[in-house]
Amino acid sequence: MNRVILLLSVVFLGVSTQPITDGRLFSIAVGRVQHLHLLAQRLFSDFESSLQSEEQRQLNKIFLQDFCNSDYIITPVDKHETQRSSVRVRPLPHCTTTQYYAVLKLLSISYRLVESWEFPSRSLSGGSAPRIQISPKLSELKTGILLLIKANQDGADLFPDSSALQLAPYGNYYQSLGADESLRRTYELLACFKKDMHKVETYLTVAKCRLSPEANCTL
Amino acid sequence: MRNVFEVMLLLLLLLLPLVTAHAGGQPNSPPGKPVLTSCRSPEKETFTCWWKPGSDGGLSTKHSLFYRKESSDAVHECPDYRTAGENSCFFNKNNTAIWVNYNITVVATNSLGSAYSDPVEVDVVYIVQPNPPENVTVSVMEDKGWPFLRVSWEPPRKADTRSGWITLVYELRVKLKEEDDWETHLAGQQKMFNILSLPSGGEYQVEVRCRPDHGFWSEWSSTSKANVPHHFRRDNSTWILMTVFFAFTFLIVAWLLHLNRHNLKRCILPPVPGPKIKGFDKKLLKSGKSNEIFSALVVPDYPSTPSSNYEDLLVDYLEVYVPTERELQLEESKDPHDDRLKSDSSTSDSDSGRGSCDSHTLLVDKEAKEEARQAECGQTRTEVQRSLKDWDALTYAQIDMVGRDVPSGRVKTWPSLYSPLPRHSSGPLDQQSSLQMAKQHSLSTSSFLAQEASGESYWDVCSHGELPRPLRAKTPPHRGLRARSDADVSGAGLKRAPAGPRSLAPHTSEYVEVQRVNNKDVVLLQPVVTGCYQALPGEVYSKVKRVDSDNILLLQREAREEDGYPGAEQENTTQKASACVYAAVLVQDQMAPMVNGYVDTATMCTLTC
Repeated sequence: MNRVILLLSVVFLGVSTQPITDGRLFSIAVGRVQHLHLLAQRLFSDFESSLQSEEQRQLNKIFLQDFCNSDYIITPVDKHETQRSSVRVRPLPHCTTTQYYAVLKLLSISYRLVESWEFPSRSLSGGSAPRIQISPKLSELKTGILLLIKANQDGADLFPDSSALQLAPYGNYYQSLGADESLRRTYELLACFKKDMHKVETYLTVAKCRLSPEANCTL
Repeated sequence: MRNVFEVMLLLLLLLLPLVTAHAGGQPNSPPGKPVLTSCRSPEKETFTCWWKPGSDGGLSTKHSLFYRKESSDAVHECPDYRTAGENSCFFNKNNTAIWVNYNITVVATNSLGSAYSDPVEVDVVYIVQPNPPENVTVSVMEDKGWPFLRVSWEPPRKADTRSGWITLVYELRVKLKEEDDWETHLAGQQKMFNILSLPSGGEYQVEVRCRPDHGFWSEWSSTSKANVPHHFRRDNSTWILMTVFFAFTFLIVAWLLHLNRHNLKRCILPPVPGPKIKGFDKKLLKSGKSNEIFSALVVPDYPSTPSSNYEDLLVDYLEVYVPTERELQLEESKDPHDDRLKSDSSTSDSDSGRGSCDSHTLLVDKEAKEEARQAECGQTRTEVQRSLKDWDALTYAQIDMVGRDVPSGRVKTWPSLYSPLPRHSSGPLDQQSSLQMAKQHSLSTSSFLAQEASGESYWDVCSHGELPRPLRAKTPPHRGLRARSDADVSGAGLKRAPAGPRSLAPHTSEYVEVQRVNNKDVVLLQPVVTGCYQALPGEVYSKVKRVDSDNILLLQREAREEDGYPGAEQENTTQKASACVYAAVLVQDQMAPMVNGYVDTATMCTLTC
């Protein structure tokens, strides 16, 4: 991934920004996040299978509480929201403005999601595979998404709410640290991680389809 | 009256169910617990949940579904009970939130109570099961004469794959109509697939299904049929036929090889020629008695008659005519060496290199040599006769003079080859003029027979001319062995008579030794000085005693050893005196060149002293 990013950054520096050339970048990012999601799924299922029935019932009862550390990030929760755009920017020659902005929005949200998990993922246990390095993979993915954002920004304004979120990047993670370290916490972590990874995957896929006509995605 | 009775009957009838109901003892109970069987979303935008109701408890039961989203405590009821059918709840787009956990509960209520099902956590993302693919078309196409099926389909209508919201992977399966087992192929995300491996013609059935990247497989689509024409799988049959044919041929060849394995073995791996001596008995060798060993080696019919093989090897050959006495002498000399001879010849028979220097046959028993020498000098008549007989068979001689300076006087003959010497029982005409030739013959034969080493010993053998032998009486008619030398060896040797005495008597032989080899590769011989034989150095002249009736020049002998030689004067062919010979040689030289080795006996002097 690092090599790819280096190469792509060189290409980016030499060539004027064109969102269509991001197709390769997108494919890589999507592939990465897919892998992470599978990883998260496996971790979660391993953990669930290791639970006993008594604990499982307990966990079910407290499930409804808001425990994901990334809940502060407002993410689109349905297709419509994901695909829609609400802000108009100046038109760009390559694609429709709505598409362009929607892509940026998705990319930024994905970036924040990944970023929010960089630190907490270190406490995630490997489960059956003892040496799974989740944190570095997240870092690489973050770098890739950043590249994509930079490649597609092309003068567009940054999101207005991005600055505010820099203050509390990890949300309520630290608050929940005080809670009892137990199966519950691990369960929550794993469930949230799995969900967030799937979100990023979906967002990136949609963004990719929006930007690259050769990916055979059209609205 | 009648009306009252009817009314009562009617009442009874009406109350009967109630009575029975009460009397039956089946009490109404609260409904049984319903069970949420599954919740599915076909396109990740809406989802439906189904439940199975429990016992209704005899009363009409009403089921209702309640759900809660993860982030709020508000309980909502199912918005749509009808769209999805009986015992179902359908959540439309507006009510569906992805990545949000739904806590769903079904409640069964009847007049007596209600029952709650176990809650179920649902995240729409993980319950996606799309509809089967649509518009599955199968077409038969041809590729280089071979038919194949091209299957194409479309994603289910509701699934939004174009925007990337949902990513589907496909799988298809195919079978012949009459078969039972399906053959599945994974098609990935593509919407078209070629089935190439069609075993035969007939009607093929194809079905396709799909699945999101994280979700459940859809149901199989409706079966699409296609008729594939019957095609002859020629390539398979051809290969099978060829394989069978070759296997058959291979088996036959292998069987033939097996039958002839001995011949093949002999051909491919020829037996290594080992040292095989005819008549050589290893056991005798172990016994350690050399006499027995060598006597065992004696082959009665040795040496064998000349065969055509030898003619091939003929390089040069000498025909030496040896007079009877000389023959005897030679035989004598040969006799002790017979064993060796035979051994040598027999060994050299099988030996690859005939008489090579490195041949082991050269390593002749020194003892035998000495023995032979002794015997030679003191051989009796009988021995001579015996040896003569053996000598009869010995008709081969050759001098293969290699340009090799032999200062010591040993003729090295290698490779010494056999050359046929025709037997001669002719008269003096065929006689070798010079003793030299006889000497050479003797030399050559001995050298040949005894190879190098034994050849050496031969030269040391004393001339039998000195020994008194009554050769005339018992000698068989002399068989002249004409030695005809194409090389001017003999001639050269004969021409030069400075060094040693030579004998002119045709039927006398004398042992000579090689003086030297001149630049023309001519071996110069001189009589052997050692042993019983004495050679007088320098030129020797003899007085002519008288001329015989046969035109034989009888010279006066000078050598003292010849004195005891009785009857020598009377013999034509048998005797040879060392001193007497020399003059004859000289005379001969003057008379005729000895290049070809033929000397006219008329001009030649035979001497008997």
